[in-house]
Amino acid sequence: MNDMRLTEKSVEANDTKISARGVQVYYGDTHAIKDVDVDIADQTVTAFIGPSGCGKSTFLRCLNRMNDTIDVCRVEGNIKLDGDDIYDKRVDPVQLRAKVGMVFQKPNPFPKSIYDNVAYGPRIHGLTRSKAELDEVVEKSLRRAALWNEVKDRLQAPGTGLSGGQQQRLCIARAVATSPEVLLMDEPCSALDPIATAQVEELIDELRSRFAVIIVTHSMQQAARVSQRTAFFHLGNLVEFGETGQIFTNPSDPRTESYITGRIG
Amino acid sequence: MTDATANQNPAHGALTTTDARTRRRNAAEARFRLYGQIAIAIGIAALILLLTSVLSNGLSSFRQTFLFLEVTLDEKTLDKSGVRDVEVMKKVTTIGYGKLIEKSLQSAIEEHGITVEGLTDKDVSDMISKEAAALVRNKVLANPDLVGQTVPVKVLANGRIDGYLKGRVTMESAERDSNVSPNQLLLADAMRAEGLLVKSFNWGFITGADASELRPEAAGLGIAIIGSAYMMIVVLFLALPIGVAASIYLEEFAPKNRFTDLIEVNIANLAAVPSIVFGILGLAIFINVAGLPQSAPIVGGLVLTLMTLPTIIISTRAALKAVPPSIRDAALGVGASKMQSIMHHVLPLAMPGILTGTIIGLAQALGETAPLLLIGMVAFVRDFPAAPPEGFFDPAAALPVQVYNWTQRADPAFVERASGAIIVLLIFLLAMNAIAIFLRRKFERRW
Repeated sequence: MNDMRLTEKSVEANDTKISARGVQVYYGDTHAIKDVDVDIADQTVTAFIGPSGCGKSTFLRCLNRMNDTIDVCRVEGNIKLDGDDIYDKRVDPVQLRAKVGMVFQKPNPFPKSIYDNVAYGPRIHGLTRSKAELDEVVEKSLRRAALWNEVKDRLQAPGTGLSGGQQQRLCIARAVATSPEVLLMDEPCSALDPIATAQVEELIDELRSRFAVIIVTHSMQQAARVSQRTAFFHLGNLVEFGETGQIFTNPSDPRTESYITGRIG
Repeated sequence: MTDATANQNPAHGALTTTDARTRRRNAAEARFRLYGQIAIAIGIAALILLLTSVLSNGLSSFRQTFLFLEVTLDEKTLDKSGVRDVEVMKKVTTIGYGKLIEKSLQSAIEEHGITVEGLTDKDVSDMISKEAAALVRNKVLANPDLVGQTVPVKVLANGRIDGYLKGRVTMESAERDSNVSPNQLLLADAMRAEGLLVKSFNWGFITGADASELRPEAAGLGIAIIGSAYMMIVVLFLALPIGVAASIYLEEFAPKNRFTDLIEVNIANLAAVPSIVFGILGLAIFINVAGLPQSAPIVGGLVLTLMTLPTIIISTRAALKAVPPSIRDAALGVGASKMQSIMHHVLPLAMPGILTGTIIGLAQALGETAPLLLIGMVAFVRDFPAAPPEGFFDPAAALPVQVYNWTQRADPAFVERASGAIIVLLIFLLAMNAIAIFLRRKFERRW
C-alpha cells in the first residue's frame, strides 16, 4: 500500500451531483441497505468497496433505478440528482437512465455490429438528426472509450467478436454515447485481465473530466488507484465515506481498517 | 521423505492394476451405454418398419393405370342441334359419353386383333373407370368444337384392372370377385402388350377430389390438401400473434401473483388436454353458438388454433427466458424503455426458438384428426373450395381425416390410397420441420 499515488491526487471541492439521504432498500423481507447517506461529487471518481453481499451494487442500482426491474425490491428514502428527486412519481426512469449511464460487471454488448452498439442509445433518444451526426457521435464515443483505433476499420463487425477488454470498452462507449452526466460502473474490470484492467482504469480517470463516475469494485487497489472518494459498505451499512487517501491510510472505523488490511471480507 | 512407501495410502493399489471397485464402475458404465444403444436401436427399427410398411403400401398410389383411346365424339349423340351451345350440350349426361368411350374401346380391341374367349360387351365396358365419361364430358363442355372429331384421350382404367397391374388382384381372386372376371384380366394383359393399357404418374391423386366407394381409381387428395393448407393459414395467422403476444406479456410485463400463477398452470394443463375435447368445444361454440358452417376450414383452423396456442406459448416463453438477462440490463442501462428492450433485443434473440415452437405446433395441428371429425370435416366433399378468403367458409376435407376416411372403406384399393395419403402428409411434415431447422440456423446468433 506504500506505492500508491493517492496522496498526490488533489481532491477538488466539486459540486454535489447526487445526494442520497436515508436510503433503505428491501428485497422482500431482507433489509439490504440500511439508512445510507451519501453525497456524490461531480467530476470525481467515487469508489464503493466492501465485502460480497454488502449492498454496494444494490445501492449503485438505486441511482439509475435499475432496481425497478426487480419486483420484490423496494426503495425508501431520498435520492436527488441535481436537486431533483429521482424517485418522484413524475420521473420516467427511461429519461433518468439517459442521464445516468451504466456499465455492467460482465461485458454485455448487443449481438449487433460495433457501430450499432454505440449508436443504439443516441438513436432511441433521438440525439442526432442525421447519419453524419450519428457517425460523429459514434466516433467520439469510441475515442473516449479508447477503442477507436482498434475498431475503426471494422465498425460493421459484430460487437460480440471483440476480446473481453474490448467488449467492456465498447460497453463504456455505448454508455457515454448518450452523453450521460453520471456513469455507474458495477465491477467493470472483474471479468478482465490485468492489461485490459489497466486500460479501463486509465479510461475511468479520463472520463472523470466530464462525468461523475461511481465505481463498485472488489479490488481495494483498484479503488485506491482510480478514485478520489471511497465509500465502505458492510452488511448494508455505509460504514465510512471520505477521501480515498484518508480511508486507506487512516480509517476512522475499526471495521474499515479490518477490511482494508484483509481481516474481514 | 526418506521412505516414499510410507506415505502411500494403503487403500490405493498400484496404478496399473484395476481394483474391484473400478471394475464395477466400468461395468456399470458399459451396461448403461448398452441400454442406450438398445433403446436407440429399437427406435430406429420401429421407424424403419413404419416407413417400409407405409412406403410399400402407398408408393403405388402415385402411379395409376390408364387407357389410351381414340374417341370419336359423335355429333348425333352429343349435340343434336348442331349449334354447339354449351347449355344445350349439358343435357347429355355421362351415360351418353360412356357409350362413346365403350365403342372406341371395342373398336380399338378389334383393330389390334385382340381376342379373348367368352368376353362379353359388359366385360369390355367395365374395363373403363366410371370416372372416364365425366372426364371426357368436361373436356367437351370446355371446348365444344371438339364435337365431330376423333380425339385421343387418356382415361382411368377400372380400379380392379389397376389392382391387377399392381399385383393386388390375381386370377384366383378374380374368380371369386363379382366386380372383375378373369376374362377382363386376360384382356388387360393383351391390351398392355399392345400399349393400350399403360401405368403412368397419377397427378389426379394429388390434385383430384375424393371419389365414391365405387371408383377408388379416381380418388384424390386435392381437396384435403387445400383444406389442410387453409387451416394451417388460419392457425398461423391466429396462433402466432396471439401466442407471442400472450407469452411476452406473461413473461416480461405481468406481475407475479396468484392470478398469473393460475393462468400459467392452466396453460400448461391446456397443452395436455386431449384434442377431441377441443373438437367438442369447437362444435359447441363455433358451429352451434357462432353459427359458422360445418366442415369449413375456418372452424377447423379455429379449433386447431386453440389446440396449438399452449404449445406456442410454452415454447415462446422458454425462448424468452433463454435470452440472457444481461442483454435486457444493457438495453435498460442505456435508457431503452421496457418495450424497446424487448422489441429491439430480446425478441430477435428469441426468434429462432419462437419460430421452431410455432412450426412444431403447426406440424402437430396438421396431423390432428380427432377434433376435425367432430366439426364435420369428415364429410364427403366433391367440390373444391373457392380461393381465400371465401374458401375458408366452403366445405373441405383435411389430410389426416382423408386417411381416416379411406381406411374406413371396403374396397382394398383404398388401403393403397390411404397409405399414399400418409406419404403426402409425412412429406408435408418433413418439409415443415426442414423449414424450422432452416429458420433456426438463419436467425441463430451468438451472444
